[in-house]
Amino acid sequence: MRRNGGATRDAGAVPEDAGAATEGAEAGRNGAEGAGGEAEAGRNGVGAGWRGRGVGGGGEGAGRWILLGCTVAAVAVALAVVGTLAVETLRFFAFVSPLRLVVDSAWAPLAEEPGFGILSLVAGTAQIAAGATLLAIPVGLMTAVFLEFYAPGRIAAALGGAVDFLAMIPAVVYGCLALNFVTPAIAGVWPDVGGFNGLSAFLALAAMILPTIVSMSRRALRAAPAPLLADGLALGASRGRVLVRLVLPAAWLGILGGVLLALARAVGETMIVTLAAGNPQNLDWSPLEGVRTLTTHLAQASLGDLPAGTLQYGAAFAVAAALFALGVALHTLGSGLVSRGEDGGRHGAGVHP
Amino acid sequence: MIPPPPPGARPPFRRPLGVVAGIATTVAVATALVIALLLLLEARHLPGPGFLLDPPSRLADRAGIGPALAGSLWLTLLTGLIALPVGVGTALYLVEYAPPTRTARATLAVLTNLAGVPSIVYGMAGLALFVRGLGLGPSILAGALTLSAMAIPIVIADSRAALLSLPRGLREAAFALGATRWQVVRHQLLPSAAPRILAGCRRALLRTMGAAAPLLVIGPVSFITFAPTSPADPLAALPTRIFAWSARPQAGFLALAAGASLALVLLSALLTAAIGALAPRTASHGDGPEAVRRTASGPG
Repeated sequence: MRRNGGATRDAGAVPEDAGAATEGAEAGRNGAEGAGGEAEAGRNGVGAGWRGRGVGGGGEGAGRWILLGCTVAAVAVALAVVGTLAVETLRFFAFVSPLRLVVDSAWAPLAEEPGFGILSLVAGTAQIAAGATLLAIPVGLMTAVFLEFYAPGRIAAALGGAVDFLAMIPAVVYGCLALNFVTPAIAGVWPDVGGFNGLSAFLALAAMILPTIVSMSRRALRAAPAPLLADGLALGASRGRVLVRLVLPAAWLGILGGVLLALARAVGETMIVTLAAGNPQNLDWSPLEGVRTLTTHLAQASLGDLPAGTLQYGAAFAVAAALFALGVALHTLGSGLVSRGEDGGRHGAGVHP
Repeated sequence: MIPPPPPGARPPFRRPLGVVAGIATTVAVATALVIALLLLLEARHLPGPGFLLDPPSRLADRAGIGPALAGSLWLTLLTGLIALPVGVGTALYLVEYAPPTRTARATLAVLTNLAGVPSIVYGMAGLALFVRGLGLGPSILAGALTLSAMAIPIVIADSRAALLSLPRGLREAAFALGATRWQVVRHQLLPSAAPRILAGCRRALLRTMGAAAPLLVIGPVSFITFAPTSPADPLAALPTRIFAWSARPQAGFLALAAGASLALVLLSALLTAAIGALAPRTASHGDGPEAVRRTASGPG
């Protein structure tokens, strides 16, 4: 009953990323398989099967065909996107051995002796994205704990509204603020900081992904078995101890999934890093210098209006393909963990009457 | 849901975790307040009300966001018209209609996880497909198609989750009464899932409305001086305008960027309110899925 109460509340006011399946695991499936699994379960329960159409009703045939048309359109767009990336990347590999992506030390497709060491870009992306996520995790998770377990209802709603405001600000605005306010502030502390530096980018990036981590952590905490807190408190443990020892461990899969989804956004973020961290060929790891990432390379390369068919055009698509793979992998893993976590919470709850 | 602390409990702030959590929340909320304050303070230096209609200019005190604002409205309108029906329809078809085969399952999983692809990658694909492939050039239409490609997976992911969260009894009861699948979808599932489907639509539109990276890839930031009046007109949008102004060191342009940012945030808030007003109230009236779930789970 209590658990369903929580889910009911969830259905109404949905923060930033909470649109995904709160109860997607209802039919007892998990991960990426949840979709088909539940569709199947729903249909088995019905018994009519998918052939049971055309029994009557005017919209039956037309509705079905319209929805099928939508699906065909969506699949066509997805295939076109994936196909374009694949074709252009393969065409690039016809000229440049894929091995050079790993062997070359620098990424310089325009240089006289072009280098295609994509690992230097990956390193920049990892530095910025991981840094921002590591900063956002404690703040976001603790904010979620406060909003769920400590703040009284009305105050929690107001504070949650402020966090949702962060989710509404576009990335380019974060980039603008990082360049024009955060960097000067940092320069007040370390005067030798560059005008473009990784530090301001990663601070702004952390602020941008913070609402995602807060809303996903809140969802995971709500999906944790309800009686845990009451049981723990009844046994005489302090509230903080129960949360740390019982509730957070029960919710950790969902929290980790949310962190991976936030990391996916950080990896793919272009505007903040382009504006705040510039785009120098930077191979030392000082956060006070500029940083070059997969996304900033794409932004810089295409600001010069990429000529089709050239080597740097192909190189840009190779970078895009790498970003595509990273994004899909992180999203698949993250959303899989989120629904696993909610599923696990359900099973755990079964232990309690 | 985890119950609130019992009335006799000690005040939460004696507990170290409560203090740490409180500090974290303060940091998060302060960040939001500081950002709002910075934008408002900076926007004081705006040239005047003409800022909303004037075209961009080399002179900061004559520049405005007219074409960019019109472009963003066009882009959001077209993206909404393309991506929302396609996304919701796809989720409906794959969850409710498609035979439960491995293919349908895999299609849904792949389409959902495309939501993780960075926006700039959609820009690259849009450049090759729409700008050059279809020969649309850097137009509003090419931008809207690119943003739609980016929005569709988000709409599918959230609509799918919304449909799967509905109680099975809702479908079973309707089918037992002899409703056709279309009637079940149209009169039971869609209204019940509407709040969460609309939340997904809002998330997708907010994400595309604020997206600068894909638009920067498909076309340079243009200094067009007229507001676009048709989808074939050259691309202009608020996020790319903010980008162009942010990086200019001359005095006055930061205020312009802040003003454009405020306009964009305000537009996002308006969109959120509009979508909120669209959501049907069935769920709260006791005849929607909430009521079903409540009675189904019983008091124990």
